[in-house]
Amino acid sequence: MGSCWCKDKTDEREMYSPTAGPASASMSLSPGDARLRAMKALDPSIVDQLVMEMLTLIASFVDNDEESPVLLVKLHVIADKEEGWLQVVSSMVNVIPLDNPLGPSAITIVFDDCPLPSRDSVIKLTKLFRLSRQRALSNALDVKMKRNMCVVLGCIAEKLAGPNSVAVLTEETLDFLLAFLDTNFEPCIVLFALIALEKFAHTTENKLVIRSRFDKEDVNPLLKLEKLANNEDYVWRQVGFCAQWALDNLFVIENRPLSYETVDMTPINVILNSHDVSEYLKISCNGLEARCDSYSFESVRCTFQVDNGCWYYEVTIVTPGVMQIGWATKNSHFLNHEGYGIGDDLYSLSYDGCRKLIWYKAKPASVQDLPEWQPGDILGCLIDLNTREAIFSLNGRCLTPCTEIFETTRCCKQGFFAAASFMAFQQCRFNFGHLPFSFPPTDRPFMAFNDYARLTDEEKKVLPRRYYLEKVRNASIPENACTLCYDAVADCTLEPCFHKGFCSKCAAQLRECPLCRAPILNVKRDI
Amino acid sequence: MAALPRRIIKETQRLMQEPVPGISAVPSETNARYFHVIVTGPEDSPFEGGLFKLELFLPEDYPMSAPKVRFITKIYHPNIDRLGRICLDILKDKWSPALQIRTVLLSIQALLSAPNPDDPLANDVAELWKVNESEAIRNAKEWTRRYAMDN
Repeated sequence: MGSCWCKDKTDEREMYSPTAGPASASMSLSPGDARLRAMKALDPSIVDQLVMEMLTLIASFVDNDEESPVLLVKLHVIADKEEGWLQVVSSMVNVIPLDNPLGPSAITIVFDDCPLPSRDSVIKLTKLFRLSRQRALSNALDVKMKRNMCVVLGCIAEKLAGPNSVAVLTEETLDFLLAFLDTNFEPCIVLFALIALEKFAHTTENKLVIRSRFDKEDVNPLLKLEKLANNEDYVWRQVGFCAQWALDNLFVIENRPLSYETVDMTPINVILNSHDVSEYLKISCNGLEARCDSYSFESVRCTFQVDNGCWYYEVTIVTPGVMQIGWATKNSHFLNHEGYGIGDDLYSLSYDGCRKLIWYKAKPASVQDLPEWQPGDILGCLIDLNTREAIFSLNGRCLTPCTEIFETTRCCKQGFFAAASFMAFQQCRFNFGHLPFSFPPTDRPFMAFNDYARLTDEEKKVLPRRYYLEKVRNASIPENACTLCYDAVADCTLEPCFHKGFCSKCAAQLRECPLCRAPILNVKRDI
Repeated sequence: MAALPRRIIKETQRLMQEPVPGISAVPSETNARYFHVIVTGPEDSPFEGGLFKLELFLPEDYPMSAPKVRFITKIYHPNIDRLGRICLDILKDKWSPALQIRTVLLSIQALLSAPNPDDPLANDVAELWKVNESEAIRNAKEWTRRYAMDN
């Protein structure tokens, strides 16, 4: 995010007028005049055009440290006032096309970037949408608008937790969303209605209301939708995935066994590591499929490490948007809230087939003469530690080998893991070799993780996140623990200030005393 | 997720057991590093009567680096910009791992009582605060009424 534009605000009230004449949306603007033009741009057609331009921009906007692009700033300024916010949201609903792979992600980006609306604005918006069951069933709204409304409601639910989220989830909103949980609708609408309900359910009161509505149905609609988790259609497959996840994590039904208890894990010896993943990523019960529905950039590594030899795995692309899939050592950190993932440091390398970029050190290298990836495509990831090459392939077509990563990882002697990062609403499925590969490398002998890895029965369990959180919350903490990490025993004294209460691991990371800020000249171990 | 550090568990337990008056910090049901925060506007400040929503996130290397905090409710304050970002030394170079979620939130509450227009993040607000404090305070009260009192 940039830092400049919010500091030079002058009084906007006199310039801001919904009746101002139309201004032409210009493609090339400097940040300086963005505000002024944005003020004039409340003409709906111009906001529509800004939204379309933003879609193009997001596909090419790759630098995390770059200042907020002018277009986003303009939308932000327009959305700063209630009327403008309503217009931006309406424009997104009206114009974001179904076939743009970044459409729903773009809506989350705009919501994340704009100031949060007041509760009144949001309630006005839901009135503007005229949400109801009839409206969901009517043909007055096209598929695109219905889907976009669901995406918007999900974003609002994610941003407004607590009482405001309860206020938005009126009977009418609920009727509208629940009406879509039916296979007679287009799968993209069902998917985003389900995701919106999931996000509303993060507030407990909403969760109880939604659950009671499910209970009133003859058959809980989620139980029907969950059966689609292995559907051949990639959008229905996503619906199935999300329904199953919701049943395991949010809307738990008595007598329904959790998915991890019933899934057959016998042939699977390596999975996505549910202890080595950023907070919001959803992992399937067999540990091989992952999905992100959060606006953060979520990452995961697999359970198996390779140190030498030549290895290969494949990924089935379920959604065509931004994912960065490849290899990472344990040194690679998952900075999901900053937007950094696999390929964004010295210790990882990835391919993003939506924008056709190979990522390393957070720098993209453009890939020519390959199409953008599509649902069903197979990404091949080969790492040859003998020849020090990493080679990506799409449906068997190999890209140029990458070698630089082996230079920056050589000194730390850490092995590689299969790893991936996901933008909002992206999903893919991993094959580490428990199934035959679609495009196995033919130019060299290679190994598959699944033939060499072993997991205990306990390690194969992908526990629902809430169990895991409950387990850690109930953990007890010893009395003499380090006051910084509470993990190790406090056994160090800092000199010369003589403050105590720290373990050696924490003390080693300190330059000044956390209590008095005196420089640390020596750390003395007690005993 | 790497196992949740005990430090975070400890702080969460204590926030639940001994909440700070005027401040509520509740961890997200799905992410133990993300807290929904509500700070009540301090008495005798232009923010009195308002309920300000913030988000607080504990980064991977917490407590060696500071929590990330921002206002979600709009607020008219010289040290808080339009995106809700807060200019507060302990969130930046004056962070110490001995500080905690509760101390950070108390400092933010104190910042509401004592705006510091000489170290601004929102320049226009700071400017007005310096040249015409009574008008700035009127604006702050108006924003509080408009954005922080609807619930």
